[in-house]
Amino acid sequence: MQSTPMSNAEMRAPRKALYVFEAPVRIWHWLHALSIIVLAATGYLIANPLPSIGGEASQHFMMGNLRMIHFIAGYVFGIGFLVRIYWGIVGNKYSRELFYLPIWRKSWWKDLWGEILFYSFIRREAPPSVAHNALAQAAIWFFNTVLGLFLIFTGFALYSEGLGLESWADTWFGWVIPLLGGSQSVRMWHLFGMWLILFFAIIHIYMAVRADVMTRQTSVSAIISGWRHYRD
Amino acid sequence: MPTRDTFYEVMRRHGVTRRSFLKFCSLTAAGLGLGPEFAGKIAHALETKPRTPVIWLHGLECTCCTESFIRSGHPLAGDVVLSMISLDYDDTLMAAAGHQAEELLEQTIEKYDGQYILACEGNPPLNEDGMYCIQAGKPYVEKLRHMADHCKAIVAWGSCASWGCVQAARPNPTRATPIHKVILDKPIVKVPGCPPIAEVMTGVLTYMIAFDELPELDRQGRPKMFYSQRLHDKCYRRPHFDAGQFVEHFDDEGARKGYCLYKVGCKGPTTYNACSTVEWNGGLSWPVKSGHGCLGCAEDNFWDKGSFYSAVTDFGVMGGAEATADKVGGILAGAAAIGVAAHAAASVVSHMTRGKAQETSHD
Amino acid sequence: MTEIVTPNGFTLDDAGQRVVVDPICRIEGHLRIEVNVDDDNIIRNAVSTGNMWRGLEVILKGRDPRDAWAFTERICGVCTGVHALLSCRAVEDALAIEIPKNANSIRNLMMLAQYTQDHLVHFYHLHALDWVDVVSALSADPRATSELQQSISNWPKSSPGYFRDVQNKIKRFVESGQLGPFANAYWGSPAYKLPPEANLMAVTHYLEALDFQKEIVKIHTIFGGRNPHPNWLVGGMPCSINVNETGATGAINMAWLNQVSDIINASIDFIDQVYIPDLKAIASFYTDWTFGGGLSGKNVMSYGEFPALANNYTNESWMLPNGAILNGDLSTVYDVDPRDPEQIQEFVTHSWYSYPNPDQGLHPWDGVTVPNFELGPNLKGTKTNIEAIDEQAKYSWLKAPRWRGNAMEVGPLARFLVAYARGHEEVKELVDSTLTDLGLPITALFSTLGRTAARGLECSWSAHKMRGVFDDMMANIKAGDVSTANMEKWEPATWPKDTKGVGIGEAPRGALGHWVHIKDTKLENYQAVVPTTWNASPRDSQGNIGAYEAALLGTPMADPAQPLEILRTIHSFDPCLACASHVMSPDGQELAVVKIR
Ligand code: HEM
Ligand code: SF4
Ligand code: SF4
Repeated sequence: MQSTPMSNAEMRAPRKALYVFEAPVRIWHWLHALSIIVLAATGYLIANPLPSIGGEASQHFMMGNLRMIHFIAGYVFGIGFLVRIYWGIVGNKYSRELFYLPIWRKSWWKDLWGEILFYSFIRREAPPSVAHNALAQAAIWFFNTVLGLFLIFTGFALYSEGLGLESWADTWFGWVIPLLGGSQSVRMWHLFGMWLILFFAIIHIYMAVRADVMTRQTSVSAIISGWRHYRD
Repeated sequence: MPTRDTFYEVMRRHGVTRRSFLKFCSLTAAGLGLGPEFAGKIAHALETKPRTPVIWLHGLECTCCTESFIRSGHPLAGDVVLSMISLDYDDTLMAAAGHQAEELLEQTIEKYDGQYILACEGNPPLNEDGMYCIQAGKPYVEKLRHMADHCKAIVAWGSCASWGCVQAARPNPTRATPIHKVILDKPIVKVPGCPPIAEVMTGVLTYMIAFDELPELDRQGRPKMFYSQRLHDKCYRRPHFDAGQFVEHFDDEGARKGYCLYKVGCKGPTTYNACSTVEWNGGLSWPVKSGHGCLGCAEDNFWDKGSFYSAVTDFGVMGGAEATADKVGGILAGAAAIGVAAHAAASVVSHMTRGKAQETSHD
Repeated sequence: MTEIVTPNGFTLDDAGQRVVVDPICRIEGHLRIEVNVDDDNIIRNAVSTGNMWRGLEVILKGRDPRDAWAFTERICGVCTGVHALLSCRAVEDALAIEIPKNANSIRNLMMLAQYTQDHLVHFYHLHALDWVDVVSALSADPRATSELQQSISNWPKSSPGYFRDVQNKIKRFVESGQLGPFANAYWGSPAYKLPPEANLMAVTHYLEALDFQKEIVKIHTIFGGRNPHPNWLVGGMPCSINVNETGATGAINMAWLNQVSDIINASIDFIDQVYIPDLKAIASFYTDWTFGGGLSGKNVMSYGEFPALANNYTNESWMLPNGAILNGDLSTVYDVDPRDPEQIQEFVTHSWYSYPNPDQGLHPWDGVTVPNFELGPNLKGTKTNIEAIDEQAKYSWLKAPRWRGNAMEVGPLARFLVAYARGHEEVKELVDSTLTDLGLPITALFSTLGRTAARGLECSWSAHKMRGVFDDMMANIKAGDVSTANMEKWEPATWPKDTKGVGIGEAPRGALGHWVHIKDTKLENYQAVVPTTWNASPRDSQGNIGAYEAALLGTPMADPAQPLEILRTIHSFDPCLACASHVMSPDGQELAVVKIR
């Protein structure tokens, strides 16, 4: 129990191991995680700035820097998302699980139900799964795909306001602004999106660590090494 | 039909020389952000055209748009009314009343069918069969529809006509409705603001007359010439924003030094208008320059976007309840953390009890 | 009925021909007037209908009291800022917030500037055409006009050439055939009495005043950031003062203060050299048109305005005093207390609202408003095409406010009468000297012209008063006090859980009060009782008629088809209907249900 997942896995010599997360997926995952941390930190400070700084305006560029970092991280987040979609097409079959929910598959619903029972301590054993279990897939689909897209669309819509009318960002994302009821509303939804993503991040991390510790499959190590080990 | 004065003739008779007339034209061109080649075009238009009839209607409103209009310094409101347009109906300014006033509407339709500009200040209420705004015994919305049927184009003055403004704020008891949701078949130029800046109003109107075309509009129907940028993009306090120097409270040290008003609720970052550049009342000041944040008065439904004194506001969609993104989101994230902690604890307990059970069974 | 006598002493007779004027133009908002004239074309019955309702107070429910000023400011864009100020006063009263001295001075300056500009625009652009014949100006002799001008003031723009230019301008305008706002009016009516030269002079000043009015409001722009609808702040004013330190260019500094000072001087010049001489000249041709007194000789009321002392809204502090006069008895002036539930009440017997107890008056703190658009059986026309209204039933979107059950007239004349009766030196001198000039007794004030004259005199008074207030403020700044806002109670956590407040004052058009009830840091109820509601009020449960209705009675019309006389008298009140119509139910939610029918 007290040992780390890695040593745990090593100790119980794996019966089976599966290459689930290919390198691009792993790199993307950590880049994505990093950009979310940076975006959330800078974003929060854009909404609720630090106490005022004294001196001359020309000596400081506090908000300017925060915003610049936010935008760079925003690009990393957005372009990363595009690359990940590409990999979802060309990568292995697990790489696609992020982008859709197989709601037409009966077995998926069964798995989902099984996971829910498992997490509510009703059932002892989790149904077996390969890359993501059904519940994890649903969570990650919402967390990554829905919220990610939402933040990208609202984020680049806000970004287009700075680039100006007729800029590429305006052409691609400007329509979001009237759709959500104006610039101020877009900002507030964008901000709310941050809280939602933090909400899911907490759950996501917990579930991953817990799965590692409590089930017979590795998950944290899997997103580091790519290999998912099965301990029995 | 009597001969009609062109703008140029009127200017000449006012003692304006041809040279200064041309200068006016090039200043107008520059003011509208157009190249010098347009000055000639403006001059030509003004020299040859009779004054365009304008019908100015008032629905539910506060008349601040008219008040703003008469503050225009360039051109002077008096010159606009006497020389540039023919203001054939405007209940706030016209000498006639009652039947004599209403007759003028029909006369205009007869003489200028499809040629006049319909300037709308305020909006029609639709509840109670429209009788929350009665004109000549009838609902205002009827008059609006009738006059819109025969006009060439509509100018929606102010946030009332453009978006609905204050009477349309939650719960909008009279169902006050912006013009574009009532008139669907005419070109509409929105000139939002509560009120719009005087020179923006006269600028849009004179553009339409001098160029005989609608100004280029953005996605939401506002003239790009005045509404394509946020106040924040051209605010003279922007260096303080970028530096991170804010007014924390009204009348504090930062306020006396002219720091950025973001933290006391300035909506400059989300408001499209010309205040920070054209400024108000002859370029004298604008809200930020006089120490108060922008209220966002040119934006759709700015009344329902939460506090005027906080950067983080309501979503603007939740009925009545106060719910800022930070509040709701913070609670959610907090709940997730607590939930996770509780679940983890439960897992440990469950694991240990199970472990115990296993151990005992092994024995 | 044919003939009845109202409790407030007016005889109504609806037997004769009915004349309907809708819209009344050159006012703020939408107003309808119906009158009955007898065989001699004398008005014997009058009905005033407020034609609009916006529901602003319903909208205010549940909002942050610190935001309320911005909403209420949009009650009216003509008397812009006035409602905002009163809203701040009401909220500050409820939360016991004291504003700094400078904030009080700045507010007074802005309010005085509002009086000056509003009165000026009213006289020239909303009222003058009732007395001045634009077409007759075409036949004036510019030289004689110049002489007339020079005989009445030192205004520099007075040469024959100047008047000839203006005359030519108007001539070409008229000849163009596009008469614009001057089309279809009553030019040439026998009711116009001015000689052509006086008409030309007045028309010239119509144009000059249009250019000048926009200068006066620059005082709002400097302190409030813009006009119309400048910015205000609960707890003081948002503009900081910095005259001698780093960053002064980012605040109210010497350059701006000097500009304010110049605007004050220019305003005094324009009012004293153009407006007042014009007013006297025009009035001198109409001294025998003595109609339109109505309630002014009976019941008038003022809440008081311009607190000389910050945070003191009593007669100790008001530069124009609080008081009510009943039955024309100038020797007794009553104090008006906005908190006393017995004094100010609103009735809805003849208004398109319903009360739980239909004929009982309610104090604004207890105000209820459920709209109820219901027309009487004697209506001519249909619900959406009213030809003649039935005044025996409900007939207006305005409530009927009463003071101790009495219909009251409010406005500049009421303020001056109250001040006069209270022995106010400045007012007494202004009034007496003007009456002496025109050779008229004090009773001449109880008329349409009296109202118009009082407004002009008050305009001059307020322009001059700006100078004093400005100088006091400079002295205070010099003494080292630059504070403009008190932020101690800015945070809602510092507020009481349940509290009520009232802000009273005088809008340019008359007595204005805002009543607030704040509960759990949000607005629980908001009521404004505004000047035009007093003046344009419909009948109450007792049948007392309001000031407009009373003022029209007994006026002969030269031609009932041309409502010039009606316009004159109604315009002399400077109506503002957007202000007048709004109200709130304690349960705004319900309203949305009620109105769907
Ligand atoms: C995980 C994803 C993201 C998070 C958590 C996030 C968070 C935030 C937050 C909290 C704000 C402040 C909102 C406010 O004004 O109150 C903000 C502003 C903003 N974000 Fe993001 N954001 C994300 C992604 C993006 C992306 C992909 C872009 C695209 C470039 C972007 C562009 C912006 C812009 C332009 C602003 C407005 C900044 C300003 O105008 O000062 N964001 N973001
Ligand atoms: S748009 Fe707003 S500001 Fe203009 S008339 Fe309407 S309420 Fe007044
Ligand atoms: S004062 Fe307002 S508009 Fe100006 S920089 Fe600050 S936030 Fe932007």
